[in-house]
Amino acid sequence: MNKETRPLNDTLSLKREIRSYGFAKPFWDGTRDKKVVIQYCKSAKKFQHFPRPTSIFTGRMGDVEWREISGKGEIFSYTVTYRGTDRFRAVEPYAVACVTFEGAGVNHIANMVNCKEEDLKVGMKVKPFWMPLEDGTNLLMFQPDN
Amino acid sequence: MSLRDSAIVAYAETKVMDMSDRDVWVLDAEILESLLVKTGIEKAEIDGLVLAGLTSTGAGNVFWAQTTADQLGLEVDFCEQVHIGGCSAAGSVARAAMAIDAGLCNIAFLLFADTGRRENNTTERSYRREWIEPYGLMGPPGAFGLLSKRYESQFGLDYEMLGKLAVTQRNHAVMNENACEKLRKPITIDDYMNSRMIADPIRLLDCVMPADGAAGLIMMSKAMAKKKGLTKTVIPIGYGERTNYGGAMNLVDTSLSGHQAAGAKALKQAGIGIKDVASFHPYDDFIIAIMLQYENFGFCKQGQGCDFIRDNDLSFSGNLPLNTGGGQISAGQAACSSHNLIESVRQLMGEGGKRQMKNIKNALNTGIGWINYGRNWGTSAALVLVPGE
Repeated sequence: MNKETRPLNDTLSLKREIRSYGFAKPFWDGTRDKKVVIQYCKSAKKFQHFPRPTSIFTGRMGDVEWREISGKGEIFSYTVTYRGTDRFRAVEPYAVACVTFEGAGVNHIANMVNCKEEDLKVGMKVKPFWMPLEDGTNLLMFQPDN
Repeated sequence: MSLRDSAIVAYAETKVMDMSDRDVWVLDAEILESLLVKTGIEKAEIDGLVLAGLTSTGAGNVFWAQTTADQLGLEVDFCEQVHIGGCSAAGSVARAAMAIDAGLCNIAFLLFADTGRRENNTTERSYRREWIEPYGLMGPPGAFGLLSKRYESQFGLDYEMLGKLAVTQRNHAVMNENACEKLRKPITIDDYMNSRMIADPIRLLDCVMPADGAAGLIMMSKAMAKKKGLTKTVIPIGYGERTNYGGAMNLVDTSLSGHQAAGAKALKQAGIGIKDVASFHPYDDFIIAIMLQYENFGFCKQGQGCDFIRDNDLSFSGNLPLNTGGGQISAGQAACSSHNLIESVRQLMGEGGKRQMKNIKNALNTGIGWINYGRNWGTSAALVLVPGE
């Protein structure tokens, strides 16, 4: 067998540092209150994510506004990492999920915590898990929504 | 039509090295010399230089193309670096043909050299810094892990068929003296299935291994090739590329790619259908990328890639040969990912040696470039080649 049997690591022991480009500030500000705030194009009437400097639908910067969503969603896909990068080399195995936000139709990639590997599946309902960061913001992760 | 008025008149390639023992500029010089010897042209006749942009060593210098021209003493009227990641090699052929057709240059030297293992000067500025690094998703293997699990949930995935692709390519690498020596050992489907998990379900034997090496081509107009008595040529007759497929959509089906559009365009320009393709030389960074390309180019329908692999003989002597040099996964990812392009040219010139394909009516070569956020890849390219008359 090529699979390891160790339980999934929640990776919370690893300190995170966010190196932001700046224009996603409303997203990061929202996380201070544990709110998921993402971009919405007023003209296309669609959400977009990750945050971009303009509307990916119209190319007009003024079309973009920020809207709060529930942050709940379902797993679009996932992978269990057995060989982490850099500092994550010490905390394998850990799960990373790509989650489609309900009511928004966009994906966010993040760690999946409080979960066993055998429970992970595409379509699984999830809700936010917030990992506190030193600057008062929180890192959005996901956990099962039972 | 401009593309098919030009000709590839020679190719050169170093052995793929786990880590180069020579500087990248020395590899450049070896490729140049080899091409001059093969074609009999003088260095001074080269008036176009086209470099592939996928270079980790060159990433430390924003003047890379000019610096390279200077190192080699090349005085040129067209100096270009093609930045579409793993599509840069195929893209260089199209751009060189355009430049020749437009009269910007007459003889183009296409150079694909990189020594990223020996000297990696890359610093990446992308979405990864803000949106991926905090979560530890490991670059390409992580992205392909997500893509594979999604595919499995959509259509099911027979991993042994992916194993068949790995074994087929490895058999070819064993026959390729230029493949990285470390990889020239036969493997079985069991070896594939039991190889170490990296980013479930991506296994070690799904992954390409970065390596060092260089390759190059000389291109000129067909008319000039004839005048110079260069009779062994390969002609590009169809090309298509698509960058940022679905880029203005908020959610895409990750089993679909820009290869649908790029492939249709290249085949239409070539005047052939997908069933006429004699051999397939797809970009391979992960095994599943090959399967997705069978589907997106239309060899089979979406979701039927595994059945297609099961039903076809993909060896060099089979009905649809696959990456007869071993592909990047079994030869090593070197020389700006030009490996599969160089192998197509070699085969169409009839120089495949003991792995020579019988049917060299044409070859379909492809590119995959860059990994985007939670989708599949950034650029898809397709290039149809035929032997010159």
